[in-house]
Amino acid sequence: MIISNLFLKSLIILTLTSCSHGSFRAISFVNSLLVQSAASHREPSLGNGLLVTLANKKGREVIEMIDVKNGKRIALPGLNSANTHTINMSISSNGQLIAFIRQRGENTELLLYRRNQGTIRKLDIIPKGVPKQVAIDGLGRIVAVQVSRNGRWDIDVINIKN
Amino acid sequence: MTNDLPFRGKALVSFLIFGLVSCSLPLEGSIGDGFLQNKQEPALSGNGGKLALIIDQLGRPTLQLRDLKSGQIIPLRHFSRNQPHSSPSLSWSGRYLAAIIQRGNRRLVTIEDRLTGKLHTFPLIGERNPIRVRLSPDAQTLAIQLAHQGKWKVEIFDLTKMLESDFSQEEFSQ
Repeated sequence: MIISNLFLKSLIILTLTSCSHGSFRAISFVNSLLVQSAASHREPSLGNGLLVTLANKKGREVIEMIDVKNGKRIALPGLNSANTHTINMSISSNGQLIAFIRQRGENTELLLYRRNQGTIRKLDIIPKGVPKQVAIDGLGRIVAVQVSRNGRWDIDVINIKN
Repeated sequence: MTNDLPFRGKALVSFLIFGLVSCSLPLEGSIGDGFLQNKQEPALSGNGGKLALIIDQLGRPTLQLRDLKSGQIIPLRHFSRNQPHSSPSLSWSGRYLAAIIQRGNRRLVTIEDRLTGKLHTFPLIGERNPIRVRLSPDAQTLAIQLAHQGKWKVEIFDLTKMLESDFSQEEFSQ
């Protein structure tokens, strides 16, 4: 009896606590799809209604884009190439541009992917430094990139020219 | 019309046009502050006007918000303590600023509404630690990277009943 009373009280407290933060909710069907589609996901970035993550598929990490409204995967032609390791990425609000940092051999590069063209171009870091983390603005006009330079972390802002 | 201007006039017009174009672009280059201070984890507002970053403040990783055009630091109501801070993320105008803070022995996802001054918190059930947090530009979706049972996992949350949309006419006219 005492135990069931305690259980009931705990349940009420838990419910009330949950309700005080209860105005956000997990998008369960997309979260389930994420669990089923890859061994792990990391480095999320959100556009409006779009999610990109680094998805671990059979030991290889690939950039994956998902429409949050229906859970459908969106093709990223020409983006995921063999013998490369993506470190970090960021998408513009409509998902047409992805700024990402990729390691190929000894080189770590800052790159820009245009989804409607399927093209990748390098963004120069001046003075030189090793990029670690990148953010692109919603319209795809600028990126801010964390760079290792002269033994410390710096942040560069780079205008993206068309 | 400019063909009729003398050379000096043309130069002046070019200079003015160059000046206007330069002013419309955000600051380019390294974010300087006069100190050899580590700066990490950049996040841009959707409109490109604001930059959130993590700086070392007396050895404590602390969130800082800057206006990109002026370079000025924008004061924050809720991020002067509960360090270490990590993983900042901004909505379209920079009204909402999400980040992970330390409260007691737990890492906690929070969002500051800079318009109302309200702080929203996202307690995670169970032994799940937030690693990264990302806010959509319209502030209607939140993505959290978690460490759970030795694996990375991303979960997304609907914020439509919690936050007003950070709507942008500019974005929808694209």
